[in-house]
Amino acid sequence: MRVPLAWLRDYVELPADPAAVAEMLALLGFPVAAIEKRPVITGVIAGRIAELGKHPNADRLQVGRIEVGDGAPLTIATAATNVAAGQTIAVATIGARLPKLTIERRKMRGLESEGMMISAEELALPDEWFEDGIMQFEESLQPGTDVVEYFRLSEAVLDVEITSNRVDAMSLIGLARELAAYQNVPLRAPELSNPGEGAGGAKANVTIESPDCRRFVSQIFTGVRSGSSPAWMRIRLALAGQRPINRLVDISNYVMLETAQPLHFYDAAKIPNHHLIVRDAREGERFVALDGSERELSPQALVIASETSAECLAGLMGARSSEVTDQTAELILESANFSGARIRRTAGQLGFRTEASSRHEKSLAPALTAVGAARAAQLLVQAGAMPHEPVAFGQPLSAAAPIDFKISDVKRLLGYDLPPQEITERLDGLGFKVEPADGMLRVVPPEWRTDVTCSADVIEEIARMAGYDLIASEIPAVRAHEIASGDYRRERKVATTLAALGYREIVTYSLHGVQVYDKIRRAGVEPPARPVEVQNPLSEEQRYMRHSLGPAMLTHLARANGPDRAFEIGRIFYTEDRQPLETPMVFFAFSAAPQNEPEWHDENFLRAKGDCEAFLRAMTGRSRFETAADERDGFHPGKTGVVLMDGREIAVVGEVDPRLVRTFGVRLPVYACRMILSALPPYDVPQFQPPSKFPSTYRDLALVCDADVPAQRLESALRTAAGAWCTAATAFDEYRGSQVPAGKKSIAIRVTLQKPDATMTDAEADAVIEQAVSTLRADFGVTLRA
Amino acid sequence: MNLVDNLEDLRARFEDALKNSAGAGSLDAVRVAFLGRSGEVTAVRRSIGKLPPAERPAAGQRINEAVEKMERALDEAQANAEALEVGASLSQRIDATFPAVPPRQGSIHPMKRVMHDVCAYFERHGFAVVVGPEIEPDYYNFDALNIPPDHPAREGFDSFFLTPNLLLRPHTSPMQIRTMQQHRPPVAVVVPGTCYRRDAVDARHLYQFNQCEGLLIDEGVHMGHLKGMLTGMCREIFGAEQQVRFRPSYFPFTEPSAEVDTTCPLCRGAGGECRMCGGSGWIELGGAGMVHPNVLRNVDYDPDVYSGWAFGFGVERMALVRYDVDDIRRFFENDDAFLEQLA
Repeated sequence: MRVPLAWLRDYVELPADPAAVAEMLALLGFPVAAIEKRPVITGVIAGRIAELGKHPNADRLQVGRIEVGDGAPLTIATAATNVAAGQTIAVATIGARLPKLTIERRKMRGLESEGMMISAEELALPDEWFEDGIMQFEESLQPGTDVVEYFRLSEAVLDVEITSNRVDAMSLIGLARELAAYQNVPLRAPELSNPGEGAGGAKANVTIESPDCRRFVSQIFTGVRSGSSPAWMRIRLALAGQRPINRLVDISNYVMLETAQPLHFYDAAKIPNHHLIVRDAREGERFVALDGSERELSPQALVIASETSAECLAGLMGARSSEVTDQTAELILESANFSGARIRRTAGQLGFRTEASSRHEKSLAPALTAVGAARAAQLLVQAGAMPHEPVAFGQPLSAAAPIDFKISDVKRLLGYDLPPQEITERLDGLGFKVEPADGMLRVVPPEWRTDVTCSADVIEEIARMAGYDLIASEIPAVRAHEIASGDYRRERKVATTLAALGYREIVTYSLHGVQVYDKIRRAGVEPPARPVEVQNPLSEEQRYMRHSLGPAMLTHLARANGPDRAFEIGRIFYTEDRQPLETPMVFFAFSAAPQNEPEWHDENFLRAKGDCEAFLRAMTGRSRFETAADERDGFHPGKTGVVLMDGREIAVVGEVDPRLVRTFGVRLPVYACRMILSALPPYDVPQFQPPSKFPSTYRDLALVCDADVPAQRLESALRTAAGAWCTAATAFDEYRGSQVPAGKKSIAIRVTLQKPDATMTDAEADAVIEQAVSTLRADFGVTLRA
Repeated sequence: MNLVDNLEDLRARFEDALKNSAGAGSLDAVRVAFLGRSGEVTAVRRSIGKLPPAERPAAGQRINEAVEKMERALDEAQANAEALEVGASLSQRIDATFPAVPPRQGSIHPMKRVMHDVCAYFERHGFAVVVGPEIEPDYYNFDALNIPPDHPAREGFDSFFLTPNLLLRPHTSPMQIRTMQQHRPPVAVVVPGTCYRRDAVDARHLYQFNQCEGLLIDEGVHMGHLKGMLTGMCREIFGAEQQVRFRPSYFPFTEPSAEVDTTCPLCRGAGGECRMCGGSGWIELGGAGMVHPNVLRNVDYDPDVYSGWAFGFGVERMALVRYDVDDIRRFFENDDAFLEQLA
């Protein structure tokens, strides 16, 4: 909310420095987003045009003799066309400083001009909101008056943020009340009694058909004259960001900014029988608003209608058909209270928000209806209108329920004690009524506050007034509890382990556009059949939830100039039984130059597998893993393995499908490993096996077997066949080609043998190996390569 | 050949071998060849058996003397060879300023590092770290947190919806409810995690971000404890001199509520023309406050017995301030230079 400081000072004594006011507001819970400083303007005074004539040497110029009070009248030429003798206007005298120029003595077409008639723009006001040409003032403004000083144009404007619970403070008086209470100085509120009270006269009849209108104060004013508002009001409205329209509309806006209560004025001549009905809109009912916009309404909208048509979209904007104009002689004032939820829904549905709705939708206090009407009546009377009796319809005002508040709760929640006397004074300053009652205080919130309903709310009021700085830092002694950190600890260990293995952590967006699926399809791969879709994305780039960490990883690797290594821990999303579900995953990958190697071998794959096993060892404490060749979406069909533990699949490791790698723009082959975090078995503490004190020996065997026998099977078969003395059987080389028959391969396996209680002799070792080889010969048809 | 000739011949060949050996390594071979278990000396010793018994002691003694001499010669040669090698090594001169061979090193993402540091701080003080789903129903996101439908505060949580009732959580606070539903007080947790809001993206805003939530509930927990813990956390993350200030604010799930500021680490609170804090001397961290009695009632905690606080801070924002990063979007771009510099 834009708050002109000059206006605020009307109601409360404030420090001169705007930054000090802003700081105070911030400490009260109303942070100031910006302090808009006003430009320095000097030497601008009010002048009355005594005479106006044609410039002797220029058709388009006029020359005026301007009375400026004490001094001699000034002769000033102007090109403006909205000037006439008798007007009181803004004059910049010689030496005046304006935002963009300094006024000097100069000749205009041979005639010396002793100053300049200026427009709103030269006063740094939004000129499109003011008269075209020279700024006009009321006759009552004495010639010679310093305009900047009189209208306090040098005062800053604060952009104040007001939390949604404090709609009462979306007003000058509301903020002034806070500042007055904080500084312990009086609030100088304007007169808030209704001059129509007891006046009798004409009454508008209001029928309330919807419970969403809680209260409606109506009041008729006759003898209304519109026209333009006085300059002070137009200036204040403009600085507050509200466009001046005409005297009547300006009064309704002015009162809203001052009291938070939005008002609406109807031209009484356009309302048959002066009868207004608050009802649901009819299906398809047409509504042309004040601003000319046209809408078709549904019964979800609430309207205020005459007996024939909707004349106001409740809480939002009036209709063009009954708007007040310069011809309006009699008006009906509406100061109403609506259900905030109803106004919010309607505004959202129609995509239509106004200053009025931004207040209504936060649920104003019903008591403000009388305040708004009274303040408007004061200003309308000042404008020459005649007030009639205000009449309130709807629910009667009920006093707020008292809150029984334990004084000891101050200490319990804030950590410090305040004497009851001070608590009472603090609350009193904000308009609360406080009565002591046996270790308690019985607190009644003021009628304009709807946000204070429980003891904790009262404590916040006390804390705000006493200052949050009174809260003293203290480290709590946290008692032992039963809550475990399992999942997070695992994620953190995953990250540190992969970082130690040389992978760099990345964090990417979980939302993406359809382009990801286009790319996948272009690679000849099927994208997920039922992706999780966002119903209300801000852009098409946020339409889908990622189904894999792969695409973002490939995009990342594509950006690197050469080989790169990265990992990501994050959730993936999928649909099951129409429910969107999520699973935390880890995905690590590297891109690497292809090696010069035969088609049945891939060193990079073995590296990826090595990283996978090292990772699993760190995570699970185990050191032996089984891998089975398999196929998985997104991976190369012939270079992929699944890692099993206790027969359960826990990881997929392999080369990423080269078609995907290509369409995502990575220039090198990519190897990756993905795991579901929750599938990782818990850490199993390894148990120490004392190694044999006797030396081990080994035999390297070159076994020729069918090309499709996996090395892992030969290893484990050898281990079994070699018996208890075999401590390891590890393949270390593979050969296919002219040295072995077609369809066969040769695998070199090192078998390590060791006895726990003696040195193994060569003869023993040879015997074991011979026995093992013959077993394998029988089971797999292997032969020893010559 | 008799024994003496044998020994003479052996010594001659030993001298040759010693002369021809190069370096400490090959001396071992000489030692094995002559003095080893199946070495030449052993062969000569065996021949003693063929001598008449009377000659045997003298022969044995001669052999022993010969062996001793050979061993001494070997030891001497060994010492000389090692001295030579060490000498050669010591005379080497390299260019120590040549660039290092970098290890194959990974890194933790800078945002995650801040997250881990925050969690570690709270873990040290007895808090558990819990994580929860990113897809949450209305109930956990809003209703249970004292934000009924049509509440104006829902506007501040402009959320991505997946179904009419399921949304991507706009804050980590649903885990307050889930945790309290599962456990009775005392409850002391921090909740790191990804959140989503329909915010337009710019240098200061993201539609996806990470939050770190904190929750402490027990008898006698007050707002001073909140300030104490947050001050400690800020000192851990931003520096030992950090101060924390509370400003009143509004969140439906806390009362009293506060905005939490910490001293701007760049200007150290001096303000002026500081580009980090815009001259205020303070950095906004996020919201906090005493858990609203309605929230406690929603999980069957008695607000007259238990009290507690919660806070929720943006992790990218903290990282932005900690590492003086110019644009928050960098935390999702994973530019190599960015990750490398902050590794």
